[in-house]
Amino acid sequence: MKEPAFKRRGFQFLGLNTQDFIRIFFGGNASLAIVVLVLICVFLAREAFMFFPDHHKDLKTYRQSGQEFVDYIGDEITAHTNLYSSLNIAYYAEVNKSSKEEDSILRATRAVLANVENLTAKTWGRFERDLDKLEDVNDDLEDLDSESEEDRAKIPVLQAEKARLESEVDLLREKLKKEIAEVIESDAAWELGVGTAKPPEEAYPKIKEAVLFAASPEADDDHPYIENLKDVAREKKKVAAEQLVAYKDTLKAMQAAVRPLKSFHSELRDKGLENKKKLVSFSTAATRKKAWEKGAEVAEDPAEKERMLAEAAKVVIEEPDYEGINQVFYDSVPRHAELAGPFEMEMAKLYEQIPARDEVATKSAKENLKRGEVFYKRFENRLSEGREGVKEWRHDKSISVVESVSSFLFGRDWISNSSWHDFYGLLPIFTGSLLISLIALSVAVPFAVAAAIYVNQLASFREQNFIKPAIEFIEAIPSVVLGFFGILVFGETLRAVSQVEWLQWVPGFPMAERLTILNAGLLLAFMAVPTIFTLTEDALNNVPKAFAENSLAMGATKLQTVFRVVVPTGVSGMIAAVLLGFGRIIGETMVVLLVAGNKIKIPDFTEGLGVVAQPAHTMTGIIAQELGEVDAGSLHWRALFMVGMILFCISLLVNFSAQRVLKRLQKV
Amino acid sequence: MKKTLAIIAVASLFAGANAEDKIVIKGSDTLGAKMVPQLAEAYKEAGNEVTFEIAAEGSSTAFTHLQAEPAGIGMSSRNIKDSEVETFTAKGMEIKDWTGAYDMIGVIVNEKSGIEGLTLEQVEGIFTGDITDWSEVGGDAGPISVYTRNTSSGTYKSFQEMAMNKRDYGSDTQKMAGNEQIAEEVAKNANGIGYVGLAYTEKDGIKAIPVDDVELKPENAKDYPIARSLHYYTVKGKLSEAGAKFLAWATSADKAAEIVERVGFIPVK
Repeated sequence: MKEPAFKRRGFQFLGLNTQDFIRIFFGGNASLAIVVLVLICVFLAREAFMFFPDHHKDLKTYRQSGQEFVDYIGDEITAHTNLYSSLNIAYYAEVNKSSKEEDSILRATRAVLANVENLTAKTWGRFERDLDKLEDVNDDLEDLDSESEEDRAKIPVLQAEKARLESEVDLLREKLKKEIAEVIESDAAWELGVGTAKPPEEAYPKIKEAVLFAASPEADDDHPYIENLKDVAREKKKVAAEQLVAYKDTLKAMQAAVRPLKSFHSELRDKGLENKKKLVSFSTAATRKKAWEKGAEVAEDPAEKERMLAEAAKVVIEEPDYEGINQVFYDSVPRHAELAGPFEMEMAKLYEQIPARDEVATKSAKENLKRGEVFYKRFENRLSEGREGVKEWRHDKSISVVESVSSFLFGRDWISNSSWHDFYGLLPIFTGSLLISLIALSVAVPFAVAAAIYVNQLASFREQNFIKPAIEFIEAIPSVVLGFFGILVFGETLRAVSQVEWLQWVPGFPMAERLTILNAGLLLAFMAVPTIFTLTEDALNNVPKAFAENSLAMGATKLQTVFRVVVPTGVSGMIAAVLLGFGRIIGETMVVLLVAGNKIKIPDFTEGLGVVAQPAHTMTGIIAQELGEVDAGSLHWRALFMVGMILFCISLLVNFSAQRVLKRLQKV
Repeated sequence: MKKTLAIIAVASLFAGANAEDKIVIKGSDTLGAKMVPQLAEAYKEAGNEVTFEIAAEGSSTAFTHLQAEPAGIGMSSRNIKDSEVETFTAKGMEIKDWTGAYDMIGVIVNEKSGIEGLTLEQVEGIFTGDITDWSEVGGDAGPISVYTRNTSSGTYKSFQEMAMNKRDYGSDTQKMAGNEQIAEEVAKNANGIGYVGLAYTEKDGIKAIPVDDVELKPENAKDYPIARSLHYYTVKGKLSEAGAKFLAWATSADKAAEIVERVGFIPVK
């Protein structure tokens, strides 16, 4: 009989052999991954969607405590403050113009002096330490008791020490002088800093003299030149202010006009806080009572038990009388009207007296007066809104679901850990994330796609072998390292470049900050390049070879083939690559947390493209920054989960569309 | 080679678990960056057989930590909030407050700035966003860049209470991770302003300015308007023995006071 080619033998259990077990093992691993994914989704969704009921309740508290009412008046005051501030800046721009030259010299002197001190900091430190020691020794010498035998023995030791220190101090003083004289010749000492107006050329020798004088170890006072300059500047400002005395008086009157409303507001604010405390204490009373009772149950010491029970009895669960606690707000409506009416009229009268834009000389004053016009309109609107608002406000008006959801999705404030009321509005962090991602994409896509086309189609074999691993290596750089690079090197360089004079036409230049949307966007672009590059290259590889060969055979050049045949065929794969690159960018946390500047405010788009020079906060950044502090299960915690959920949805959408696009490619 | 490594690993595992008590301290960055680690080192040097685990991620984390681990110590640069006390009561726990040191919060500006002092009202205006330009407070014109701590920080909260009349921070403020970062940004930005603990005001490039004409000096602690106490928090009856011993030492020993002073705070005694 012939032996069968394959013999069934070896390990068997429950009718399964080794191969079956291996199969089950791998299958099991795959399904485990899916189970974990589902668990994560469920957990995230549960925590996140509990946010809406809680948020709704929180908004209700905000209304029932009357805080909403108080904020109507608060908004009126803020509108006034903004108006006043812009007019005030315009006023000072006019006054300071008179002493521009003196101020620029003073400023430059301060800058150079600071630089010189920093550059010689080491020797300064030693010098000052020795001076301190010398003082100690002198004190010791004075404290000695000439009667005491023991003390007298110490005298020579201390004397010797004193002499040593004195000579050292002298040496260091000389050294310091020499160092300062050396340092002041260097360029580093004349680094005036961001956005500083240059002093007139002829002042430089004087500045140098003043700095040398002030930096020397013996200096006590300012150089007479500086003293004099300060006086001149002060005098000039005084003269200028006298010319503008009417303007100043108007400003003062504006400040005075708001005062009654302000004190009214702060009175009501205290009431609102009191009410909030009552509401919060009511909502936690039941748990507190239960907690004391539970504590009493487990307590072994009878005295302790008694105390805990007494505490439990002290907790009163009583729903506050909403009508009653809000009565004060209803009663204050007429008073508000009484204050707001004359206030508005007074402000209108005062605003008339502010100089027009063509009556001021400086650019800054013109700009700020223009801002003032916008703020004045807003101020008027706020007042009429406020008047209506307080009249119609009811503490028991219900909040619709739409209202509560849209106050999250379209809310313009994200304020947490507030002493007044926390607001969770997605818009500032959402726009921040989006803007940064768009910048990153618009920089990364051209680079990555061009590199992929070159490497895949045009490069020689040796170039391919070098460029591909080099680009893919970028992915291996930890994002926290990139973040530090962004703060210390890239941000600093970017800011320095933005100061260059012939680059001032670039929107947003010169940049005041080094942690900005632009900085974060460019670093993220760098991070996204490998993702987009690799996937684009794959897409081009997937284009059937026959297409290119046919094209070449028909007599097309290499470049024609690439741009007319290969790239158009692979374009859907390239779109998928870009989408996945976007997914990579919007989910990145560390870099944006370190580099974006963390300003929770919707970027000011009125600056056009210059918006990129502003700092912003992001969805990922806010989760990383705030999740560590919050109590599990609190509203704040849930809000952060909700932000996470939205990020998750964005990623899901991006991946989904990428796959759809890719499927289309496979059909070709 | 591998074998010896494994033996060392196992041995160190046992050493960690057996011989010493472990004290876990979490919370404020202000206390946890320098003061507490140095106290811990000195405490060990003084011959106490303990190990420390210290994490400084913001005062709020002190309380989440204490609820998870009642035997540990929380450090906080602000007073515990009512809502936080309630979460403890709800768990049948009672909180105990130890004053660890006093701190003054310095308002810092770039050293190249011409500002030589601010009133408390101006500080409030700047941090709430009412004042946006240096010219409004007597400096050279330029938009003010405001750097603050992030919301989990106790300094964020205590500054709000002491210097800002409990008003919210302006939306233009930038939230930095710690004292160091604030000092770093202000040092690099001529229009910057920020606040840091007393210990951080010595950094190059920044200067602490007098507030209401009171200079930031330890001897002015009484008059300076933005001064506060730094706390340790523990759960009554749950604190480990080693932890209690350490706290007693840290708040009373001469050596501890010396360290507190060296890192720029004012000792309790």
